[in-house]
Amino acid sequence: MVTASTSATGTAEETEAAGTEAEATQTRRFRVFRFKRGDRAPHFDTFDVPVEPRTTLLEALRWIQLRRDRTFAMRHSCLHASCGTCGVQANGREVLLCVTLVRDLGHEITVEPLANIPVLTDIVVDMEEYYARFPEVHPVLRESEAIPQAVAPDSIDRYVRYEDCIECGLCVSACPIVATSERYVGPAALAAAQRMLEEPRGVDADGVLDWADHEDGVWRCHAAFECTEACPSNVNPAARIMALRGVIVAGRLRVPGRREGSL
Amino acid sequence: MSAPASRTPAAHVLIVGGGGTGGALAHDLTLRGLKVTLVERGELTSGTTGRHHGLLHSGARYAVNDQESALECIEENMILRRICPGSFEENDGLFVAVEDDDMEYFQPFIEGCAACAIPTQVLQPDEALRLEPNLNPDLKVAVRIPDGTMDAMRMPLRFFATAKHGGADIHPYMEVTGLLVHDRVVSGVAVHDHVTGADGEIRADLVVNATGPWSEQIAEMAGVDVPIQPSPGVLLALRGRLCNMVVNRLHKSGDGDIVVPQRGLSVVGTSSWTVEDPDDLDVPEDHVERMYVEGSKLIPAVRRAEFRAAWSAARPLIGSREGGASSGRELSRTFKTYDHKETDAVEGFVTITGGKGTTLRGMAELCANVICGKLGVEAECRTRETVLLPHTAYYAA
Amino acid sequence: MSSSPPSGVPRLEERKARGPVRRKGIGPAPSGWLDPRGRAIGSWAFAVNRVTGLGLVFYLYLHLAVLSLLLGGESSWNDFLELATTTVFLLLDVLLLFGILFHALNGVRVALVGSGIVPHRQKALFWAGTVIGTIALVYGAIHILGDA
Repeated sequence: MVTASTSATGTAEETEAAGTEAEATQTRRFRVFRFKRGDRAPHFDTFDVPVEPRTTLLEALRWIQLRRDRTFAMRHSCLHASCGTCGVQANGREVLLCVTLVRDLGHEITVEPLANIPVLTDIVVDMEEYYARFPEVHPVLRESEAIPQAVAPDSIDRYVRYEDCIECGLCVSACPIVATSERYVGPAALAAAQRMLEEPRGVDADGVLDWADHEDGVWRCHAAFECTEACPSNVNPAARIMALRGVIVAGRLRVPGRREGSL
Repeated sequence: MSAPASRTPAAHVLIVGGGGTGGALAHDLTLRGLKVTLVERGELTSGTTGRHHGLLHSGARYAVNDQESALECIEENMILRRICPGSFEENDGLFVAVEDDDMEYFQPFIEGCAACAIPTQVLQPDEALRLEPNLNPDLKVAVRIPDGTMDAMRMPLRFFATAKHGGADIHPYMEVTGLLVHDRVVSGVAVHDHVTGADGEIRADLVVNATGPWSEQIAEMAGVDVPIQPSPGVLLALRGRLCNMVVNRLHKSGDGDIVVPQRGLSVVGTSSWTVEDPDDLDVPEDHVERMYVEGSKLIPAVRRAEFRAAWSAARPLIGSREGGASSGRELSRTFKTYDHKETDAVEGFVTITGGKGTTLRGMAELCANVICGKLGVEAECRTRETVLLPHTAYYAA
Repeated sequence: MSSSPPSGVPRLEERKARGPVRRKGIGPAPSGWLDPRGRAIGSWAFAVNRVTGLGLVFYLYLHLAVLSLLLGGESSWNDFLELATTTVFLLLDVLLLFGILFHALNGVRVALVGSGIVPHRQKALFWAGTVIGTIALVYGAIHILGDA
């Protein structure tokens, strides 16, 4: 938890006056999904957890794990929305634990694993099926568009950066089509494909288009836009899926004899 | 590639700890033909490894005061770029002097880097601002060094992926609850599986403690002591990529003196204090404020940037608590392997600890040499040249 | 691929087996799409589009069945007309109008968005369609019910 300054001093009156409802430690009730192999069915455990104004969902669940139930399993790594491992459903909406404040979620918080991906244990999902949907090759680095007036130093062609997509699976969990179709490749994979067309980086663009141009690929999407709503990293998978369709359609409409690129 | 077929069963090494060190060690030992099982109580890299700012270290930070670490870093930096292509933001970095006092450090810095074979290029303010327009316009001088950014989770995951496909068994969500010790010989571990809820025992020819700041807790299970001082620091992630190169403060190590770009974020770090229990980490608000203050001395836009996250990570520093290190900054950042037969007369147990995210492969090589020596396995290290599988291969069946 | 592991890892097969999958949705799968709880505009539009689509197909058959009453001559048709001018029936007509307007306008939106022409404007298109549709619905409702 983000705690008050370690050098804070002050009289009781000052603290009283300074403290408002928002500053005080409060309690929130958590209902967390529990499942171990061999259980006939999952169940929910309830815990009352002390939270500060800046306590994240991750910190609250860690408190449960460390002080109430060491068998409670959870997934996390970078703690700053860059690794994409801590995705869950909190009160039915997909979020990353590490950047979601408990105070923004109301007095009762239900935490469940992501939907549409098999559960490994408790709120942890097994990402094998998430990655199985991706095209075989997808690069994670691209040209950096940040700071347009910056010049890369000599011996470096251009600045590079990691893609925005952190492979968190929130989009796949949110997608109503993935919920009903095991074969649909899903928003994350299609967005990755579109990024490879945007900036090929040596990938075979025709191969990517062939991969996407399939009834379980780009055409299975029904434009619900849940993926874009859920994405914590501004990837906008829905727009990318539509852009991918645009490229495919434009390719089909090309008439022999016309100039390349005109429609 | 599969594990080599052998007539005599390969020696079985059990690694406790699924951080970068454990992953790199699993990979190294697997390449040398050993059978490896790795257990980790949570997700891989969920201890300290996943949490750092993602700096691919050039070693320049240590070129003046800790040349052993500096040499390790620059060597591993170059190796990692070769064996993990496509995994780093290779934009180099800058050490920037922003106050007159910083200039006292300039000469020792240049000399230290030269002594450690860290390539440098001195830049005047206008040159530096052309490379990084968001730098403090009052900068005095900048030195370019081969820093880079790594994905702190996905880069180590490549080691796990390669090890797994080579035949190693990787088991996250399996927590060690005790060591199997009899007559000062460690023969395996007792585990609790968080996936099934079951308890069990896994026997091995050798157990390796690769748990970073938790090394002491595991070592105690064998009745031995490891001088580890968990030393956390606060990190701050801001929305927006304020720089493309890593930006460091040109001075003796201090708080908030680095800004690491990472995908669409800028990570400002770090601070330092010491704790007993690496599971019990606060995020002191005054430390977070310090990140804003010090970070904006390097890049003024830090002050106004949108908050993304603030968190703490515990460094595994080698050095006993009784040694009197109060902030943790006095301790070396190098790494060590402890063969507990030599240090404590306990057979079958080795601890590898200390180090930095950048030196994971080098740590593993050193430890694997010790392990192979103990087990009588004659095999060369091949991790310097072996290109790793992509991180997605870890999840492939 | 890993060879058979050394004995000791407890219940390994169980650990590796595929776990249960959580699905959103009201009732048993595959109803995941019909659960706009906690979802955004795009999902609502999608779900209502499906429901109105089914509704319009049902209406088409109903309409054909009604028209077949003409085969029964003037009296059976007049019986039907009496039913068709009751208030309840006229309200259902308004509901039908809503279904037609929503499905058509959202259909235009989906066509524009789904072919990659204006994917970034899906919310704006939805609200534009809502405005046009509401005006048309009110106008139509007044005329339908005005004669009741």
